[in-house]
Amino acid sequence: MPELEGRASSRRSMPELDRLVHEPGRLAILTLLSSVADADFLFLQRATGLTKGNLSSHLSKLEEAGLVRIDKRFVRKKPQTTVTISRLGRERTARHWEQLEALRDQAVSASQASQSARRSAASSRVRPA
Amino acid sequence: MERHQLERTAAIYAHLRGALAIPAGGLFVLAALGNEQVGPFRHDWVFLACLAALGGAYALIARAYRRHYGRVSPTAEQQLRSGAALVLAVTVVLGGSLLLRSRAGWSLDLPVNAIPVTFALVMLAAYAIGGALRPHHGIVYGTLFVAGALPVWHGEDPSNAGLVMCGAAVIVCGVLDHLAFARTFGPREQPALDA
Repeated sequence: MPELEGRASSRRSMPELDRLVHEPGRLAILTLLSSVADADFLFLQRATGLTKGNLSSHLSKLEEAGLVRIDKRFVRKKPQTTVTISRLGRERTARHWEQLEALRDQAVSASQASQSARRSAASSRVRPA
Repeated sequence: MERHQLERTAAIYAHLRGALAIPAGGLFVLAALGNEQVGPFRHDWVFLACLAALGGAYALIARAYRRHYGRVSPTAEQQLRSGAALVLAVTVVLGGSLLLRSRAGWSLDLPVNAIPVTFALVMLAAYAIGGALRPHHGIVYGTLFVAGALPVWHGEDPSNAGLVMCGAAVIVCGVLDHLAFARTFGPREQPALDA
């Protein structure tokens, strides 16, 4: 069926999303870090709204994948955790946003095409014989 | 979740820590009082003590922000841009003030208060370039601009009155900035991205 074949081919042309970066919490963390030199744990927690446990878990996964670097030290006897995005993290984040924007543009074009097809089908039905 | 909004969060952190503007605005008022030698400000030590108090207040407020909202370091490019903007701002305020009203031969010598006029323009530009411009900036600094630009400042040099007006505008904007800051970074009941 042509309709199913069309859907299958459009799925094949869809970009493979980066699952590690795609998770909303991690995407927010990486996007925030990509606009600064570094940020501490508290800033990331406030800016993303994640709980401490969740933020720690996401940062661990990102560090394992080499997307961020975490520096833990004591400043005046208080623990301070500073996070910096790596070059790989910056590249993967930018690429992911480009893919999301391309998907959004695809969806908008498809929706506009379908709307104009429906409009022309409706106007051809109304036309007298 | 909007990319642009997330990327602006760091800019909001840098520009909207408004409580810092309270001692900063106080500095303008102190400068005016010191110039006029009003009351106890006839004595240099009073001026210096107030200056130290404002400096101490600034440091305490900065520490409170770091403690409650965390810390962010700007990129080298952002630091360079901030430095260039500061140099440009000082040039515009000094040069613009001299152009609008001064004893210089090339001055337009208009009956305006030059410091609030130039300062308001520079602050609006700074917020806009930093990506943190809010409606209340337009209202407060717009009012400051209009008040300075009204052709009613005849007679003696109104610079000290201008400094007081600038200080008041900085303090008012600072309070409103902090409220906006707290809305952005305050604790949420339902974290939006909690997995």
